[in-house]
Amino acid sequence: MRFDKRPSPSRRAAAAVAAGTAAVLLAAACGDGRGGGGGDQEVVLEGVDDGAVLTMWTRAATEAQSQALVDAYNATHENQVELSVIPTDDYQTRVGTAAGNQELPDLFAIDVVFAPRFTSAGAYLDLTDRIDALDHADALAPSHIAVGTVDDRKYLVPHTLDLSVLFYNKDLYAQAGLDPEQPPTTLAEFADHARAVGELGDDVHGTFFGGNCGGCFLFTWWPSIWAEGAEVMNEDGTESLLDSPEAREVYAIWRGLVEDGAVAPGHAEEPGATWTGLFPEGNIGVMPMPSTMLGLMPEDLDMGVAPIPGPTGGQSTFVGGDSIGISANSEHPNQAWDFLRWTLEADTQIDLLAANGDVMARTDLADNEHYADNPNAVVMNDLVAIGRTPYSLHFGQTFNDPQGPWLPLVREAVYGDADADLSTLNDAITASLSG
Amino acid sequence: MRHSRTLAGAVYAAPVALFVLVFFVAPLLLVGRMSASDWPLLAGDLGVNFPANYASIGDNPLFWPAVGFTLKYTGIVVVILVGLSLGLALLVSGTRKGTGLLRTAYFLPTTLGLASASLLFFGFYSPAIGPLDPILQGLGITDEPISWLGTPNMALLSTVVLIVWKFAGFFMIILLVGLQSIPPDVYEAARLDGANRLQAFAHITLPLLRPALGLVLILSVTGSLLAFDQFFILTKGGPDNSTVTVVQLIYREAFQRFDLGAAAAVSVLVLAALLVVNIAQFRALRRDR
Amino acid sequence: MTRRGIWGTTSYYVLGGGLAALFLFPLIWTGYASVAPHGSTNQQDGFGLGNYATLLEYDSGLLRYLWNSAYVSVLTVAFTLLLSCLGGYAFARFKFPGRDTLFLLTIAILMVPYSTLLIPLYTQLGDIGLRNSLFGLALVLTLYQLPFAVFMMRISFEAVPKEIEESAMVDGCGSLRVLTRIMLFAVWPGLITVGLFSFLAAWNDFIAPLILVSDADKAVLPVAIANLRQQSMGAVDFGATQAGVVVMALPCLVLFALLQRHYVRGFMSGAVKG
Repeated sequence: MRFDKRPSPSRRAAAAVAAGTAAVLLAAACGDGRGGGGGDQEVVLEGVDDGAVLTMWTRAATEAQSQALVDAYNATHENQVELSVIPTDDYQTRVGTAAGNQELPDLFAIDVVFAPRFTSAGAYLDLTDRIDALDHADALAPSHIAVGTVDDRKYLVPHTLDLSVLFYNKDLYAQAGLDPEQPPTTLAEFADHARAVGELGDDVHGTFFGGNCGGCFLFTWWPSIWAEGAEVMNEDGTESLLDSPEAREVYAIWRGLVEDGAVAPGHAEEPGATWTGLFPEGNIGVMPMPSTMLGLMPEDLDMGVAPIPGPTGGQSTFVGGDSIGISANSEHPNQAWDFLRWTLEADTQIDLLAANGDVMARTDLADNEHYADNPNAVVMNDLVAIGRTPYSLHFGQTFNDPQGPWLPLVREAVYGDADADLSTLNDAITASLSG
Repeated sequence: MRHSRTLAGAVYAAPVALFVLVFFVAPLLLVGRMSASDWPLLAGDLGVNFPANYASIGDNPLFWPAVGFTLKYTGIVVVILVGLSLGLALLVSGTRKGTGLLRTAYFLPTTLGLASASLLFFGFYSPAIGPLDPILQGLGITDEPISWLGTPNMALLSTVVLIVWKFAGFFMIILLVGLQSIPPDVYEAARLDGANRLQAFAHITLPLLRPALGLVLILSVTGSLLAFDQFFILTKGGPDNSTVTVVQLIYREAFQRFDLGAAAAVSVLVLAALLVVNIAQFRALRRDR
Repeated sequence: MTRRGIWGTTSYYVLGGGLAALFLFPLIWTGYASVAPHGSTNQQDGFGLGNYATLLEYDSGLLRYLWNSAYVSVLTVAFTLLLSCLGGYAFARFKFPGRDTLFLLTIAILMVPYSTLLIPLYTQLGDIGLRNSLFGLALVLTLYQLPFAVFMMRISFEAVPKEIEESAMVDGCGSLRVLTRIMLFAVWPGLITVGLFSFLAAWNDFIAPLILVSDADKAVLPVAIANLRQQSMGAVDFGATQAGVVVMALPCLVLFALLQRHYVRGFMSGAVKG
């Protein structure tokens, strides 16, 4: 580290300060400061394919579908999409800090329950005209469009649909003396089936769930509450109804399974990273899981799916997954729209999603060749019509955040005292939802 | 001559002064301002809001448990860390063969970053590939896998082990330097006066180690009160919010609830607390010089 | 000071060696785990480098992250050395108004929680056009190195006998030439210490890049490896995580081994005296 000779200390210092300032300004000038975004560009309703490079973010949880769509698009178009997969737990933080920085990628998917927060904060571009120009606009999954609608302006289109359904292992059912073609029709029956399979042996377990994962709980257990005809929140998502008699009934049934040892070990600590990894190994009798797991099942696993029932009957599902939109600061909105429009076309949906057994983003394509051979996919697809996507501005920090008030309530109901007072915990949820 | 030396000194200090002003003082002032404003991350400054951010701290159900946990954690870590690093320093302060190797072995974990070390232990404690359960079961000590991070006490203990492992060597070096700056003649004189080893240790070594011990104490207390990375990576505040520290609260307010004003308010409180703690420590160390 | 005789030789080595084994065990294990076979990793049968292959293909690729980390770390070292050298010299050898205040202020940086400063810095970096940039990140990381670096350099400079300077000044050297020709050589162990520690800190930093850098291809190693854990659905790739730890740790261990002699001397030269 040698300094060159310079005239005198004070002259040198002045030069150094000037150089330093110049360096900072230079870096600023050469930095990738994005400009105001391409929102001022002329809207081309069909999109533009001119070889632009588009950046896109998606959650790890729905990586498979996003990657498949991106790969197929890149192979057949001049525009190229660069996909980055963000860890599910950090997704909200990453999007929030990027939004605050105005450094969002051109395209980013968003979990439907987080969508209201970001659409109402202006992170997305207004797509109303482009969406309405699609001839199948009415067939787009309604819940996914609804969460992206603010003041009658639409900002999001469906990207991936992920429903919660019961997966059950037909082999284990047969071994336990249950009819493999008769999945449970009530939650109480589900519990009986789980106990029956659980008795089969040490390595086999009736069911499993992510006991330290707020998002997993609501995804798999709220449908049982809906199926009984009850609600989980009020209509604008500012009040919690999660200590209702129907909800307590649901918690009690699962609690019973834990007490009877029908749940595979590890549930109490499972934070959500590995809860779907057990069923494919063939040791679990019946458990609710994301519909996107269907395409990941091993070939030799004899399994089926069924709607999630309530304690005494009914069916419902949590219509989850991601919607996607164009960021407000994107400089290539027309090219980004070209990608989105293409993902919603019939051929894309059928060849990439239906072929894999996934639920599609459109309700008018159920009658396709792939579904004809895949009764499980048909069951799931039909549920979209009766499923629910809950709405609240503060959904993430209330329900998904491990430090939020939802996880303590449900863990108290399942692992705590038998007659714990859930109303105080429920009030904490209401407080979080409303402010 | 005097005048130009003053000027020269000021010039040499100018870059640091500028840097500290721009990147430290200015942001601190901004934190103060944020704490008195309604400042959502997504929308920016929405105007003055005093003292709502401060008043609502008490309403946050995580706040007091986090304070309690942070204090508990600090107490445990500081005691173990200072004790162990002192012991290690004594162990390697001699000139026996091999002390250099031992010193290196103890210091090696320090070269890993805290995030790396946390990721290492994330795997180390996992039931999937962790070596502890196979070893313990192989030796016949336990029959079932132990959940290293699954209960509040185990999670705390496991994290303490991680921190002690990582920092003991670093503090050992500081204490070693302190030990080696004690002139041997002092011990000679003591021995001539008939003092045994224990008395020499208590009345000579410890007092002369005060500055080094003081530094170790201040660094470990401050570091523990500000603990975040290790819990963020290992436990994410779980299980059941039992390992949420105060800084994690700040992070959560800012980057998960997107409320910069509330995060700033908690930050100001933490800063004030740290100021008090450090001043108290400095005073205690400077006494009877 | 010797402690000969307080332990029997055997018990000394048993205790010392046992502790050393405990300290080294996790490090050795991570190297082992990164190449050992395991179910849900890329390394299914036998030992091999499958987990490292996962790293190379993950998102923007290991090489990209290595480059980002190296760039940020080198910048941080450069800034830190520059600032702490000049500042340490000023504090050690000159009197000027505000000297003690500035020194205390610099040390006070240690007392502020990381997240606290990141919040306003996140906003302010944007205002000067350095948002989402590795250069801006290096500036922030330098800030956190200043307390230790300035402290180290100050005591290093203070430990140099004044006679050396005085004789040089009698020969007609101005303070700058004293600094560059003489002082820098006298304090080079301190410089090495500061350089090493600031490199380690910048290389391993996690929270600042997590918040300040949004682009996926500007991520640094610790953030990338932490993200890697959630890569596949239904399973955490522990093998790849440990491979990541090894990759992150290797440069640090190598640097440490190379510079061992020097920085211990660095600590000694500014020995914490009574």
